[in-house]
Amino acid sequence: MSDRILEVRDLTKSYGAIMASRRLCLDIDRGEVHALIGPNGAGKTTAINQLSGDILPDSGSIVFDGVEISRMPPHRRARLGLARSFQITSIFDDLTVEENLALAIIAHAGHNFRFWRNCLKTPLVQRELPAALERVDLDRQAGTIARSLSHGEKRQLEVGMALTGRPKLLLLDEPMAGMGPGGTVEMAKLIGRLRGEITILLVEHDMDAVFALADRITVLVYGECVACGTVAEIRHHPTVRAAYLGED
Amino acid sequence: MSRSGTRTAAIVAAGGLFFVLLPPVATFAGEDYPISLFTRILIYAIAAVSLDLLIGYGGMISLGHAAFVGLGAYVVGILHQHGTDGQPLLGLLPGSDNALLVWPLAVLIAALSALVIGSLSLRTSGMHFIMITLAFAQMLYYFFIGLEKYGGDDGLSIYSRNRLPGLDLGNDLHFYYLCLSLLAAYLLFVHRLVQSRFGLVIRGASSNSRRIEAIGIHSYRYRLVCFAIAGAGGGLAGALLANQTEFVSPGLLNWTLSGELMVMVLLGGLGSLFGPVLGATIFLLLEEVLAMYTEHWMVFLGPFLVIVVIFLKRGLFGLLTGTGQRHE
Ligand SMILES: Nc1ncnc2c1ncn2[C@@H]1O[C@H](COP(=O)(O)OP(=O)(O)OP(=O)(O)O)[C@@H](O)[C@H]1O
Ligand SMILES: [Mg+2]
Repeated sequence: MSDRILEVRDLTKSYGAIMASRRLCLDIDRGEVHALIGPNGAGKTTAINQLSGDILPDSGSIVFDGVEISRMPPHRRARLGLARSFQITSIFDDLTVEENLALAIIAHAGHNFRFWRNCLKTPLVQRELPAALERVDLDRQAGTIARSLSHGEKRQLEVGMALTGRPKLLLLDEPMAGMGPGGTVEMAKLIGRLRGEITILLVEHDMDAVFALADRITVLVYGECVACGTVAEIRHHPTVRAAYLGED
Repeated sequence: MSRSGTRTAAIVAAGGLFFVLLPPVATFAGEDYPISLFTRILIYAIAAVSLDLLIGYGGMISLGHAAFVGLGAYVVGILHQHGTDGQPLLGLLPGSDNALLVWPLAVLIAALSALVIGSLSLRTSGMHFIMITLAFAQMLYYFFIGLEKYGGDDGLSIYSRNRLPGLDLGNDLHFYYLCLSLLAAYLLFVHRLVQSRFGLVIRGASSNSRRIEAIGIHSYRYRLVCFAIAGAGGGLAGALLANQTEFVSPGLLNWTLSGELMVMVLLGGLGSLFGPVLGATIFLLLEEVLAMYTEHWMVFLGPFLVIVVIFLKRGLFGLLTGTGQRHE
């Protein structure tokens, strides 16, 4: 088993004249929290979407846990252990919190048509649901329709779904955006707890959070990787200061 | 939450009791007509419930559901004709009037057609899905119009209802209670289905198609099977309708029937299962009453529907159960 969980080589994606990914290279080690930062429009979300399969690259390769996945549809990547949250929270609004998590639980139990038995009462869901609820602190909202959760709770639920089934790599696209100070702290705590258990690729604008949480940082500008290194290295990197931190 | 649950259960029980007691009361009053009208309502309710599974739970807005009703009806009509003239269908299959054979076949053919139509339609979504399901149904509609062997435009008459051991389907009372039992069974099945693992995937895919793939579930096959289950319900309704009216015609496949079924679902309440039963009841009763005064009865039904859709999120059933306000 290699200690690289993800190897991205020369990933390229253009939208007309805009190159959203420009020969992007990225290596993520097992167990690390790897932050992906860059100014607005740098191509962070586009990169995440290519990793998850929501969009296909024009060229380049993505090797995840030893498997080339760059052309694989999203659901198959998810089954290999690649989970994600979206920049704009994406949950099942019309279902209850427990139904949301139950779906994530059964997703990893293989393909199976069951027509009769109440899904929430199946042994698998009964066994795993309490821990899934507790992990994201939503035990008391189990029966609530997800639509009526607060913004922060929706975010927690989304991360909770992504965590179900123990993914090998978790892609988080700005999990703290719009959360308010309290929510940001909660989310930072959650990510902190996951450190060491799950490898995380974190896209985040909040630099304090990035510096506090990340093991390594990759800096993206105009779709291109301009720097990659430890927190200390990136803090003092001249190009980064000019291109990114300087602007902030 | 559990209080609205008890209220729903009470309303469903009251509705069930109403349907069970209707024939004896009508007979006591010396009226036969209500029994045949309500048989029709029960049959349309089966079709409307199956469409609700598709639209209300699966988010698959089909405007071609009549195709399955029509196919189910034609299976009854065509097998009846071959049974009468003694000539085997395609030189192979003898005709039949045996409900135990004909009805499952009607359901099966509707389900298989739904698999074919669904496998092509479900590759699209939104407006395209609506149009493509409509197009398939209209294709079948014109196909049956052109099918001279089975009456073409004029349709097929059925001279005697199907036979079922132990029951006399020619007896309106027997037929009524059979339709009621089949509606109850289909309701129970769909009620369990939407809470099952399969149903959860269907509802999830309808709520957020991108998220369901992102958690690792490819929803296409689930939605396809759901489409077939709904088609099967339509086929059952068609087989019953052919028996009730003792007549089948291409009109059963026309988009107007698809539209009427959709109206019943919306009127009763999308995604509420029992709502479409109420919707079918109200729709057909209104049609019956208004048609006595004017042939332009749709002029009155239209505004009523608009009001219900604008002000009641879960239709008339939602209004009854107290879960229906537009705002949250
Ligand atoms: N579907 C699309 N069509 C056209 N251009 C697009 C599309 N998606 C992204 N882009 C462009 O690609 C570039 C990268 O966008 P992307 O959303 O990946 O940036 P980002 O780094 O996530 O930005 P932010 O920090 O604002 O979320 C931007 O210039 C954007 O306008
Ligand atoms: Mg972005």
